[in-house]
Amino acid sequence: MTPTIELDGLEVQLGGRTILHGLTGVLKSRAIGLLGPNGAGKSTLINTLLGFHAPSRGSARMLGLDSHSSGKALRSLVGYMPENDAFISKMSGVRFVRYMAEISGLPSEQAMERAHEAFVYVGLGEARYRPVGTYSLGMKQLAKLAQAIAHGPKVLILDEPTNGMDPPARKRLIELIREIREAGDICLLLSSHLLRDVEETCDEVLILRNGKIASICNLVEERRANRKFLELETIGAEASFTSALESIGCECAVFSSGRIKIVMPDSVEIREVFKVAADRGVQIRRMNHRRDSLEDIFLNAMEQTGVADGRL
Amino acid sequence: MAVYKRRYNSYTGSLTPAWSRFFVLTRFAFVDLFKSRFFVLLLILCIVPCLLSAGYIFVANNKTVQLLMQLRSVDFFVVENQYFIVIMIVQAEAAFLLNCWVGPVLIAGDLTNGALPLFLSRPFSRADYVLGKLAVLGLLLSAVTWIPCLLLFSLQSGLAHDGWIWSHLWMILPIVLCSAIWILMLSLLSLAVSAWVKLRIVATGVIFITFFIPAGLGEMFNHIMGTYWGALLNFSFMFRIILERGFRDPYRLLDLRGRNEIPVAAAWSALIVVCLLSLVILNARLRARETVRG
Repeated sequence: MTPTIELDGLEVQLGGRTILHGLTGVLKSRAIGLLGPNGAGKSTLINTLLGFHAPSRGSARMLGLDSHSSGKALRSLVGYMPENDAFISKMSGVRFVRYMAEISGLPSEQAMERAHEAFVYVGLGEARYRPVGTYSLGMKQLAKLAQAIAHGPKVLILDEPTNGMDPPARKRLIELIREIREAGDICLLLSSHLLRDVEETCDEVLILRNGKIASICNLVEERRANRKFLELETIGAEASFTSALESIGCECAVFSSGRIKIVMPDSVEIREVFKVAADRGVQIRRMNHRRDSLEDIFLNAMEQTGVADGRL
Repeated sequence: MAVYKRRYNSYTGSLTPAWSRFFVLTRFAFVDLFKSRFFVLLLILCIVPCLLSAGYIFVANNKTVQLLMQLRSVDFFVVENQYFIVIMIVQAEAAFLLNCWVGPVLIAGDLTNGALPLFLSRPFSRADYVLGKLAVLGLLLSAVTWIPCLLLFSLQSGLAHDGWIWSHLWMILPIVLCSAIWILMLSLLSLAVSAWVKLRIVATGVIFITFFIPAGLGEMFNHIMGTYWGALLNFSFMFRIILERGFRDPYRLLDLRGRNEIPVAAAWSALIVVCLLSLVILNARLRARETVRG
């Protein structure tokens, strides 16, 4: 399977400054999140993938197409929702989306049809005949999403999609993004500094810091790996309880006040822990199914010093 | 992604040829332009001189009408190269006015609201973008310059005596070529200004300034240095030199102040340099992302 994004020593210089420092990595998931603090190089990386900036060294490929030498072919697969305001204020919403779809190559009638569909899909059906300039900030974000999906791209690039949105609008947009991701043959690249947005929509995360890769993390694997990590608060747990757990393959660490940490192998299910506890009359008062959140992963990546190029 | 289903579907239908997509910009721009009554009025006014010229050609070739109008001076009704020079100059000025109204809004509207990344994130290059916008002005200005002039030429050919067309066929070339360089220069200049200045009224002012200030400076240079090369900055005058030489005017109809010592090649070069400078400005301004230096 062709990786979604391949970076091979990618270096980008803008205005005499090096913004991206030799990024190397392969991202294979269908939904990729780009994380990093402001100024980390997220938007520069997106712009480079779109062919807006030429790499000064190395290369960037998306779906196997080089961003520089096959820029036009690559852009024919892309739907892009930019971070900043991007619209034509005097056009009605649906005409604006139709315009963009026609530029992407859709014949006029199909473009019109898809523009209406995209507008209704993102929830702006009632406002589609109003000039885009009169839309609220949240509506403009949705209109940008509509123009990005109207031509049915293979890759959807979303740069800070929830910027300036109130919580219900943000929730709706995240749901839409998830729906789009799950609906079909589309890859997603979402850049955000909001960890929750990325956590809720992406399978793999590329964390940037000062133009360097701080971490590449597969969230699906992380979630799976951490599923077996349990914190228990018990009453009546004695050495026999931990011995019984160890006999079925768990690793246990006992703390004061009946707190026990258990790392479970893949073969052991949680219900077996309950069974052992029931057999020995141990009350489980609290079970914390704890896993490393994306926030932990992000903070860990930010704390690292020097050039980080590996996986967590 | 049908409206009633409310779910995302990718597009699997046919696509238009990549080379033709620049024309989408042109088509949408025309629809917007023709919504303006002022624009329609201006366009009609720009074509009025051609309609009057058609009447003139009709009268010039119709002895009965001349007799009915009791016109005795037959020399007044001569349709030769000087006649076409005058028509071309009138229409070139009309094209300039039309360009001042239409040009400033073409790119500025996209730049004001940051729409350029949306265009350039598609299989659509900056050259396609400029071509699409250029086609708007190219078609409009053609409609008031060489197209009506060729129609007038055809009318005269049809009404004049046999053989007129063959002896004057060469005039098609200067009609088309002179119009082409004027249209190209005006279009590129106004696109460059539109990419630089976002307010329409200011942009229109800048286009006027671009024509009149350099011409004034050139005139000052001529007076101070005692030369005639300063006229190279007078773009309208350069166009007239090209027009006069192109139409093989033996009477130097336009040589009012004895300045046409400037070779026609220099006049062409001056207009081409303006085109190139405009392209340089467009190249600098039309970027999906601005790069801050430092």
